[in-house]
Amino acid sequence: MPIEAVEAGCDFPVLVRQHQAMVFSIALHFLRDRASAEEVAQEVFFSLHRNLRQIESPAHAAAWLRKVAVQRSIDEGRRRNRRPQVALEDVAEPAARFSPGDPMLSDLLRRLVASLPEAPRMVIVLRYQEDLEPAEIAAALEMPVATVKSHLQRSLAMLRGKLERRGVGESGWTG
Amino acid sequence: MDWLEDELRRALAREDPPDGFAERVLARSRRAPSSPRRWLAAAAMVVVAAGAAGAWREHRGNQAKQELLLAVRLASVPMHHVQSQIRGISQ
Amino acid sequence: MKSLLILACAAALPLMAAPQQFQLNLDAVAAKASSHVDVSLSASTLQFAAKFLDGSDPDEAKVKKLVAGIDGIYVRHFEFKSEKGWSPADLEPVRAQLRGPEWSKIVGVSSSEDGENVDVWLRTSGNKTVGVAIIATEPKEVTVVNIAGTIDLETLSELGGHFGVPKVNPPEKQK
Repeated sequence: MPIEAVEAGCDFPVLVRQHQAMVFSIALHFLRDRASAEEVAQEVFFSLHRNLRQIESPAHAAAWLRKVAVQRSIDEGRRRNRRPQVALEDVAEPAARFSPGDPMLSDLLRRLVASLPEAPRMVIVLRYQEDLEPAEIAAALEMPVATVKSHLQRSLAMLRGKLERRGVGESGWTG
Repeated sequence: MDWLEDELRRALAREDPPDGFAERVLARSRRAPSSPRRWLAAAAMVVVAAGAAGAWREHRGNQAKQELLLAVRLASVPMHHVQSQIRGISQ
Repeated sequence: MKSLLILACAAALPLMAAPQQFQLNLDAVAAKASSHVDVSLSASTLQFAAKFLDGSDPDEAKVKKLVAGIDGIYVRHFEFKSEKGWSPADLEPVRAQLRGPEWSKIVGVSSSEDGENVDVWLRTSGNKTVGVAIIATEPKEVTVVNIAGTIDLETLSELGGHFGVPKVNPPEKQK
């Protein structure tokens, strides 16, 4: 373990345990495939291990991991040419109206998010999984803030439209 | 707060990777080569102790490699930006 | 932004540098910069360096493949303490050379949101591409690149930001 990394508080095993959920989840929500997500997550941490001496602090490590997880997930998605198409007919008819927090609604949303084009999909993942502000998303994706905001706006409108057409929405809660 | 955003946060909440993930990563990283800087420090000690020309060549080679990686990185970042912009326009 | 140390160019290795395809006369920019990076790698230096790339690392394997057709890489990168530390006129000596008949500008992207601009030219000889020129500017950074030889631009752009340390992001918010 490089001495400099330890002195900076960047102990590799600690970083793995601390950030494995973040890295895995970025890949999982983007690729919607657990096996691929685990492979990508492992590659991200191996890359961290190789570049550990360049990490300046625990906060830097977290930001670094997030950015590399984003890049590797996008690359893996392109390699597999994966963009699951969720036709409305494929979506199971809700047996009953969803309640807030319904796991079936969460599953539906994850499938709809996975069907978005690459850039808006990752924007949505970073916004709602990582709670990043548009400027932080823009830095992670190396795209203009205006583009990030546009992706967010259009994606939310699309998701809202698809759900509301299925009777899912604020007015549709049973509770 | 907007209902859809609430539900998206719930749907996209972080999940733990499969059991044993951290152990697998740590086990594999222990088998991986150590960081270049530690390797270079070890190589310099060999040169001092044994005066081996081969180790010096390795050291210069790794130096050249780092310069190559830096040059490629500086060239690739703007190209990546171009690609992102073009992809953003076409989507 | 962390200041970059001035690096000795690879003339430290006793090998003749192949000439770059245009003069990188950027003294006006260098005079105003707070730090700069200067890398000049000839074909023989590239091939020597490539032997030390780790073929099992996906990114280094890509770099190894990338450099196979390259005759030289010349990079000048400058950073400034404040925005408007440089002016477009400072780059005119380089741009003027890229208006020559052997160069064709293939793409220019410009972002008014973050002030980032990238222009890319290809140098041709007959029907063959024999070089690439890139001028990338941000309010506090200028990068000028000449790659002599045949290069896969798609692979080069995929590598962008992939390896090494991404730009430092603000400390991550506690989740």
